[in-house]
Amino acid sequence: MESCDRLVHLERQAVNRRRLPLGVGASVVLWVLMLAMLAVATRNSEEFGRLQPWILLANAVAVLVLMVLLIGRFAELFRERRRMIPGSRLRSQTVLILSSLALAPLLVLFAFSVLFLTRGIDSWFHLEVRQGLSDAMGLSRAALDLRMTEFLTRTERIAEDLEYRSEGELYRLLADHRRLADADDLVLFGPGGQVLASASAGPIEAGLPTIPGEILASARSGEPFISLEPAAAGGYEIRSAVALGTLDSLQARRVLMAVYPVPQRLADLATAVQSAYQQYGRLSYLREPLKLSFVMTLSLVLLMALLAAVYGAFFFTDRLVQPLQDLIGATRAVAKGDFDTRVVGTSRDEVGYLVASFNAMTARLARARAETESSRQEVESERAGLAAILARLSTGVLSLEADLTLRLANQAAGEILGADLTAHVGESLEGIAPSHPLVGQFLAAIKPQLDGSERDWREQFTLRGEGTRRELICACTMLPGEGDRPGIRVLVFDDLTQLLKVQREAAWGEVARRLAHEIKNPLTPIQLSAERVRRRLLGNLPERDAEVLERATHTIVQQVEAMKQMVNAFSEYARAPAIELESCDLNALVREAADLYHAQDPRVDIRVPVDSRSVTVLADRGRLRQVLNNLLTNSLEALESTTEPRIVVETHHLQGPPGGGFVELTVRDNGPGFQPELMDRLFDPYVTSKSKGTGLGLAIVRKIVEEHGGRIEADNEGEGARIRVWLPVDEAARGAGLPRSVRRQESRREYA
Amino acid sequence: MVLSWLAVAALAHAQAEEPRFGIRNAFVEPRGGVWQLNAILELGLSRAAETALEEGVPLTLILDTEVSRGRRFLPDENVAELQQRWQLGYDGLAQRYVVVNQNSGAQAAYASLGEALDALARIRELPLLDESLLQAGRRYEVSLRATLEIGGLPEAVKVLLFWREWSRVTDWYTWSVRP
Repeated sequence: MESCDRLVHLERQAVNRRRLPLGVGASVVLWVLMLAMLAVATRNSEEFGRLQPWILLANAVAVLVLMVLLIGRFAELFRERRRMIPGSRLRSQTVLILSSLALAPLLVLFAFSVLFLTRGIDSWFHLEVRQGLSDAMGLSRAALDLRMTEFLTRTERIAEDLEYRSEGELYRLLADHRRLADADDLVLFGPGGQVLASASAGPIEAGLPTIPGEILASARSGEPFISLEPAAAGGYEIRSAVALGTLDSLQARRVLMAVYPVPQRLADLATAVQSAYQQYGRLSYLREPLKLSFVMTLSLVLLMALLAAVYGAFFFTDRLVQPLQDLIGATRAVAKGDFDTRVVGTSRDEVGYLVASFNAMTARLARARAETESSRQEVESERAGLAAILARLSTGVLSLEADLTLRLANQAAGEILGADLTAHVGESLEGIAPSHPLVGQFLAAIKPQLDGSERDWREQFTLRGEGTRRELICACTMLPGEGDRPGIRVLVFDDLTQLLKVQREAAWGEVARRLAHEIKNPLTPIQLSAERVRRRLLGNLPERDAEVLERATHTIVQQVEAMKQMVNAFSEYARAPAIELESCDLNALVREAADLYHAQDPRVDIRVPVDSRSVTVLADRGRLRQVLNNLLTNSLEALESTTEPRIVVETHHLQGPPGGGFVELTVRDNGPGFQPELMDRLFDPYVTSKSKGTGLGLAIVRKIVEEHGGRIEADNEGEGARIRVWLPVDEAARGAGLPRSVRRQESRREYA
Repeated sequence: MVLSWLAVAALAHAQAEEPRFGIRNAFVEPRGGVWQLNAILELGLSRAAETALEEGVPLTLILDTEVSRGRRFLPDENVAELQQRWQLGYDGLAQRYVVVNQNSGAQAAYASLGEALDALARIRELPLLDESLLQAGRRYEVSLRATLEIGGLPEAVKVLLFWREWSRVTDWYTWSVRP
């Protein structure tokens, strides 16, 4: 997750860095374009007028681009502030400050520019300038008026000369007068406006000037006409028209029109004055629009500069804040435990130094954590190994703190002390003792040693539970404590019960074997000798002596027979023939044995499994039959004084762990049950509560069961005795043995 | 009633404020194998245009003429286009209104603005197109439009002050001709 965050962060950084050159690049291109256009435009005003709309358009586009970019940036900043993203507050404050710093001088510059421009434009149109131009125009006009008056006088003289001339002379006279008067054209118009005669300085192709209606009308009314006319080729010309003759004469309807050129020098000056006057009038007309357009242009430039400044503020803020944001994000990641976080920084300033230091710190932290993790894994591995060893130990191991708080207990300790001690780790042993008698006895046995001053000690003691007797040997070692803390005591103890039991069984087997060997041999001669004595002497003795002999030899034979049975039993116990394992149907064997014993004593109610299903076990059929016989015999003998004797035999297959792979055989009767004082030695040889018993029945049964890899237990359940036998169903179960967990379920138990 | 009076007053005010600017009459006339345009315009100047003229800013009259042939299923065929431009200015030294045909360079000066506008308003025998370009019996449409601009202004000013009336333009005056 942290890696994803880091990737996302880097991705966002990359996007920002891609977006910045895009916007900045577009703006730079526009700026360069505008500068190039300005460079071209400033060469002359015509170019400027042509390019100014494009410059304005480029400015407007730049403003739009910047506005779009800024709206995006502001929206991004707003989102970051709402999400409380680290650094967003610093970013917004920096943008605000930088923008304000840029805005203030821009506004001042704008205000002064507008002021200077408007004042400057207004200063162009001072009254003195206008008046001066008007005076210049008047002066030019006066100079031209002099010329015009002179040219009118010339025209009038020519008209007087032509007044009484015949038509034949007109062409010649007109040519002469034109040359003498320095006129461009002289044209004599008839009463209908038709040309009567003309003389022109220009080529014939140029044609004759036409006479406008106003000139004709003015001349005919007797008013001489004189005017200054703009020439098509530039400059001016002076036109004059005079009527010939008096108003009442017939020739008065003819009009002479003369066109005079304005002297070049005068024409140039007049044209310049006129042009300046016209230009000034045009500028005067444009004064307000120009001022307005300048203000608008300045506003546009101001807006663009302002937007560019704000965008620049974003740009530089990004450069400033982004590494800090990266550091904040990386710090958070490190706080969450991601020491692989690195901040990308290329700058060589203080922030770059900070980034480098941070990266070095996280690298060291990562190394330290890796080393710690490695050490922890080693410790865990060793701990797991130790736990496995402890779990597999048949020796019980406990560690106790000074206040007897249980810190560690292996499984064997719990099994020996009859309590699940692993569930009580962290509790005081004194607190566990009341609910677990064996633990209480164990604590009572070791307490004096624990309270003593010896650090290492060894003690053997016996624990007695209900139907249980355990011989333990316990060794204690005190581990040194850390600092002021007291040391921990480690107690290691072994259950010697099994060892002692095995030793006892071995001794009993040896006894039995010797008995069988040493006693059985002389019995037969004794018996034979007694019978021979009886046979030889019985007929020769008096009746009274014969009776004594009879009774004595009979007793000898009977006792010898009894001794033979006893010796046979011992022999049977000591004998250990090889068993032949095969799959046997236990239920069938049970029913078979039950039928046999029921026939012997119909009074006893023997209940056997009615389930027809076979319960198969891996056993020696003959030895298993002997087990059943011994168990049923044991029960029958116990039921002799019972009014409604009943024996219940049950079998069932244990399913699943624990105990899977074993068959449980239960023989239960409603007799008096086992005597409590015999419970812990019930399966020992020669232990019996019956007057006639040898005490070897249950011992033989346990021996056979153990040879099969099974287990046997005896207890009193309800109103009678109960014996349970577990037998394996196959070789695998036989090899694995009955799991310990099955053993822990029982409180009273004898182990093979 | 009151509304009607108000409407009439508003109309009168509008008419007083905005002198009529339009095309009163126009026709073409074949002469010597050439179609010639004759038209009479109504060139009422707005107050802004008069002010501009008085200040020395020239006015430009643009006459756009189009001849097209209508087709049933296809767009109309543009047969001829003609644009004539005249500039009307005031020469302060000569104290005369000068009309210059910017297409031909011909120039005429008038003593008054009325005379100059009258001269501009009467389009006479303006050669439009050669008659050989037209098919006899076909129907052609001739369209005429006049535009009066206040000239000599920087384009940037026109762009920035776009809300001002820098020009007036008539609707297209269209009529059909069948050679």
